[in-house]
Amino acid sequence: MGSGRRRAPPDDDVGHIPERHTTMDFTLTDEQELLLSSLDELLERECPESYIAELDLHHESATSFRKALHEAGFMSLGFPEEYGGTPCDAVTLVLLAERVCRQGLNNGFGLELLQAMDILEFGSEAQKQEILGLLANGRVPFALGFTEPGAGSDNSAMTTSAVHHDGLVTFNGTKTLITAALQSKYLLVMAKNPDTEDPRKAISMYLVPMDAPGVTTNRLEKILWYTQDSCEIFLDDVTLPEEDCLVGVKGNGFKQLMRNFEMERLVIAATCLGQAQCAFDDAAAYAAQRVQFGQPIGNFQLTQLKLTDMAIKLENMRNFVYKTAWMLDRGLPLKSQGALCKRYCAMSGFEVADDALQIFGGVGVTVGARISRLWRDLRGHRFGGGTDEIMVHIAGRQIVKDHS
Amino acid sequence: MKIVVAYKWAPNPQDLEVRADGTVDASRGKPAVSEYDPVAFELARRLADETGGEVVGLTVGAAAIDTPLARKAALSRGLDRLVLVADDALVGADSTRLAAVLAAAVRAIGDVDLVLAGDSSVDVAEGQVPLTTAAELGWLGLGRVTAVSPATDGLVVERDTPAGVAVLTVRTPVVLAATADAVVPRVAGMKDILAAAKKPVEVLALAALDVPAPAVTLATLGTAKPSGGDRQAVLFDGADPAAAASQLVGALRSAGVL
Repeated sequence: MGSGRRRAPPDDDVGHIPERHTTMDFTLTDEQELLLSSLDELLERECPESYIAELDLHHESATSFRKALHEAGFMSLGFPEEYGGTPCDAVTLVLLAERVCRQGLNNGFGLELLQAMDILEFGSEAQKQEILGLLANGRVPFALGFTEPGAGSDNSAMTTSAVHHDGLVTFNGTKTLITAALQSKYLLVMAKNPDTEDPRKAISMYLVPMDAPGVTTNRLEKILWYTQDSCEIFLDDVTLPEEDCLVGVKGNGFKQLMRNFEMERLVIAATCLGQAQCAFDDAAAYAAQRVQFGQPIGNFQLTQLKLTDMAIKLENMRNFVYKTAWMLDRGLPLKSQGALCKRYCAMSGFEVADDALQIFGGVGVTVGARISRLWRDLRGHRFGGGTDEIMVHIAGRQIVKDHS
Repeated sequence: MKIVVAYKWAPNPQDLEVRADGTVDASRGKPAVSEYDPVAFELARRLADETGGEVVGLTVGAAAIDTPLARKAALSRGLDRLVLVADDALVGADSTRLAAVLAAAVRAIGDVDLVLAGDSSVDVAEGQVPLTTAAELGWLGLGRVTAVSPATDGLVVERDTPAGVAVLTVRTPVVLAATADAVVPRVAGMKDILAAAKKPVEVLALAALDVPAPAVTLATLGTAKPSGGDRQAVLFDGADPAAAASQLVGALRSAGVL
């Protein structure tokens, strides 16, 4: 899908459709085809369903698969070349995220890259080397410490403090519902300088080791996303040298964090698309072989109606994700596009999984049925990375503004 | 050391359809490097890295095997350069003919020490091409190869035979056909794929290779699906394991298996 390419103009215009009408091209580039086929080889070898089911059962992270992804060069896509990276456009990135998640692995690819890009862009040389080393070993380098008991999307209500004194920073506060922190070496803490009155300039970004004195955690058991832990994190007088922990510019934390938010929403949308496709494929195959009243249930129109509506939603999701990625690659202003895409894909992805579960019936919720895991995991994306409702808040304001 | 990897650009067997008359329709098969060949690429790359050699890819077939995607797919798997013979005169060519063309291309490349290939193609799967190529070249040819490493005056080759693992020293030039599980091939990453577009490709004209006309040509008289066997699907009740085992042994004896 040649998002970054423009076709050469024809030699003469006679008989040719003008270029602006020919650039909507859904064909994958050779490079995308080959990369996806490499990924397929890797998935078949390193990430079969039995592996994912085992991780889910034991609530473990996909470390060995991530390591294999790194060895094959997938974990440095989009990084600057001086850090061993290779160029990668947004369309290619979402194609890969979709493909990994189509295997049935939740949050299988992409989010770690975006997080690491924050550090590669804003971090010190020592921070960059540390994070790249962790990625190379298949580790989750850090968790994002943003949400608090009294603050989430409302970041102005954040209370975790970072007091700078004598070249040190002392943190106090509580973060909650932090994903993958227990398996991460660091926490990327967003904290406020209590002395700064302007709330936009109060928040800074810090990299805090999870084993620093004063950091304690409380694991939160949840009913989904078993391959990523969740916990509360308490910061009690955690004191670290400023030069080690501050990421980027003091007071620019929120701006730095927002830098990759659009891409993050897009990767989440691609994740939903991949998992929903997996659910659809399972349900369609089951409908073709499950016999009731002497024939496969896929022969019944009520089942066909479900499958048809699921297929329409998948097609819409795919178009939405690819077009949004294409807009990013073209440098077009996204405005509300990212929020609309995330909201639509999270909601539709879950609807597809819900209908898939309905087609399976009771067997779908037995332990070991993949559809049950997809249904659980897709539900989480309706609030992970911003709720369906906050996406309305973001997009709605923009829509009204555009029409005022 | 100059190593040639002879591979096939073949349709994916998952896309093949068996017609009612038993013939196979490969027209919808998405082509790729035949899945038994990546082991040869990997063995060649490792050997070349160890000896400071060059790895040249070689494939022959119909004109359709030469596309930008096909070139990059092969070149991203660790080749230094690629040589192709793509000519519609080779549509439907049998394995003897393909081997003759491969041998002629190997001679054209010149100074080749080793030809490595997968031991069979994923679509035709006759397993004849590597050793027939060796015969055409007048070189030693060995199948069932699981490992190859450099030696002072040639190569040390391991072969997986029914009698066990055989380790041999062979002089070059030689043709080796590797088993599908000889080594785990690396997958091509973005760097390899991007670099593939910049590697040299040479297209050899079939006519210029002066391949002698085959003395014998094959004529297929018919094709049929393999027999499914006479399966009886006998089930034993496993509630009493000892009794079930005894019933199983009895049934196998009466069938003449034991």
